[in-house]
Amino acid sequence: MSVTVGIPRALLYYYYYPQWKTFFEHLGVKTLVSRETTRGILEKGIKSTVDEACLPVKLAVGHVMDLYDRVDYIFLPRIVSTARKEYICPKFLGFPDMVRNNIDHLPPLIDNNLDLYRKGSSLYNLFYTVGKQFTHNPVRIMRAYQASMAALNNHCRDMESGRLPFETCDSNRHNRQDQDVGVSDVTIAVIGHPYNIYDRYISMNMLKRLRDYGANVVTADQLPEHVFRREAGKLPKQLFWTLNQRMVGAAFYYFDRPEVDGLIHVASFGCGPDSMTGELIERFARQDSRKPLLNLTIDEHTGEAGMVTRLEAFMDMVRWRRQLDDVAATYY
Amino acid sequence: MYGYLGIDVGSVSTNMVLTGEDGTIKQSIYLRTQGKPIEMVQQGLKHMQAALPGKLKVIGVGTTGSGRHLAGVITGADIIKNEITTHAIASSNVMPGVQTILEIGGQDSKIIILRNGVVSDFAMNTVCAAGTGSFLDQQAARLNIKIEEFGPLAMQATVPVRIAGRCAVFAESDMIHKQQMGYNVPDILAGLCEALVRNYLNNVGKGKEILQPVVFQGGVAANAGMKAAFEKALGHPVHVPSYYDVMGALGAAMLAREATNRKSTGFRGFEVADRDFKAGGFACEGCPNVCEVVEIMESGQIIARWGDRCGRWSNALTQQARIS
Repeated sequence: MSVTVGIPRALLYYYYYPQWKTFFEHLGVKTLVSRETTRGILEKGIKSTVDEACLPVKLAVGHVMDLYDRVDYIFLPRIVSTARKEYICPKFLGFPDMVRNNIDHLPPLIDNNLDLYRKGSSLYNLFYTVGKQFTHNPVRIMRAYQASMAALNNHCRDMESGRLPFETCDSNRHNRQDQDVGVSDVTIAVIGHPYNIYDRYISMNMLKRLRDYGANVVTADQLPEHVFRREAGKLPKQLFWTLNQRMVGAAFYYFDRPEVDGLIHVASFGCGPDSMTGELIERFARQDSRKPLLNLTIDEHTGEAGMVTRLEAFMDMVRWRRQLDDVAATYY
Repeated sequence: MYGYLGIDVGSVSTNMVLTGEDGTIKQSIYLRTQGKPIEMVQQGLKHMQAALPGKLKVIGVGTTGSGRHLAGVITGADIIKNEITTHAIASSNVMPGVQTILEIGGQDSKIIILRNGVVSDFAMNTVCAAGTGSFLDQQAARLNIKIEEFGPLAMQATVPVRIAGRCAVFAESDMIHKQQMGYNVPDILAGLCEALVRNYLNNVGKGKEILQPVVFQGGVAANAGMKAAFEKALGHPVHVPSYYDVMGALGAAMLAREATNRKSTGFRGFEVADRDFKAGGFACEGCPNVCEVVEIMESGQIIARWGDRCGRWSNALTQQARIS
């Protein structure tokens, strides 16, 4: 009888799911992803999380609750750091404990550490300790690890070629959100945490809305690592949050690109790093650019009117300005 | 004679404007929404019809404001536009060359930056309602002052009291405290205006380059105390246009003129004021999202639905009645 490992569709799922899935598959372990976010999942999460946690964490708890009675294990690696001398948000670090203390009757959690902060630390450590729980054969773990790295690489290449994570993560690759969309005449860069902008419920379907308004959407995740790191290097001091470094770097990059007509920064209410990234983008990345920038804050509210008004007005502004630039280009 | 109708259904007020073919205002109406947007739109239409010469024909309708979809369905609008765009259009027509628009309405406040006649940046208040008209309304009611008297009273102040404007709840307790200490009402009101302006400039106007000419509009612009507080904080004059309270509706009327260019209007006539509209709603149990679906009914027949995420209900109607 094979065992099933549950993976919540939340937090860093959007970056690492293909890798995790491949790894477990190679060990003969089935994976099960929680269902797409619904109001029910979010409400469950909000009810059983401490009040101070941010919305994405509450949502992630909801996703764990969606899984916990259907799987044998839940995979919640304790992600401390994914790059040297950088950190992931401390809430990620404490996430397995938050889950353990708030939900009863949990299946065993796989919460081994992923910590690449120090010199000499390696990603393999995580996979080795996880793999050991399912097989005693180190060669098999190594092979699974190698396959998983290949899958991660593929995932990154896929994103760099312009796909969005939920499109490459989803089992049904052909089920793309933009099938019904006609010609897009403007390009909008959406800068935000993957778990905020790709979750259709939390983002109130922002990406689809933008596409419906005729925008071609690009995100920070479509940039290769060396590009956003180079761009983020323009800040006077380096950020030690990996995710926000990506966001700021992408903002620098997209403000410079002539084909990008505007940027939207999406922050979740109550996120410390986000509130700072917003400022950094406004102050540094935008310094030499006149491109429109919209700051959106998302939280628990389900009223879509506020979001729709802002997006509509933003698109009007982008088009209006471009028209004027076109006129100027013809006459001067 | 022909005219264009603009309707702005906001959280606090419902405004209507009728412009001539040249864009000049023939008639404007300002009503309190009082949480009954449908009735107020109908009432507004009645007032409008009564005030207009009989031979005037409406050849274009535009709606805006948070109730724009609702008003659009009822009247058969030619264009339904967000309030930022309509405010910007109205302002730049009323005052050509305007570079900054400060707009404070009932439940939102926004700043719009224009350069060369085009919106180049805007911001709206985020999750906080401190510094909007509703708050002033409430405080005026608490002090037993009519909102109309608020401005003139605040202007009598000699030494404005410093009040914490960061949060509406704390501003209120600060105000009560100052009251108990014996400060007089005009000074407190002026202090309140200054606190709101401070909060607005720090929150909504954060990082924006406020250049002259500055236009101040929205319902709160009626308050002379607020205008004075803005002038004091910015250090240069602030203009309040004569139709400051219906600028959104004016912009909608202007957009309606553009939208109906070489096209006939979808306006359903002033008769809709007498028809029976009802808004109902239900929670769809189709999936765990439990969307709150809104239905607009006209004489028992559903004419529009919205609020569902998947489109199951809104798409079930004919294409024409479908909104958003």
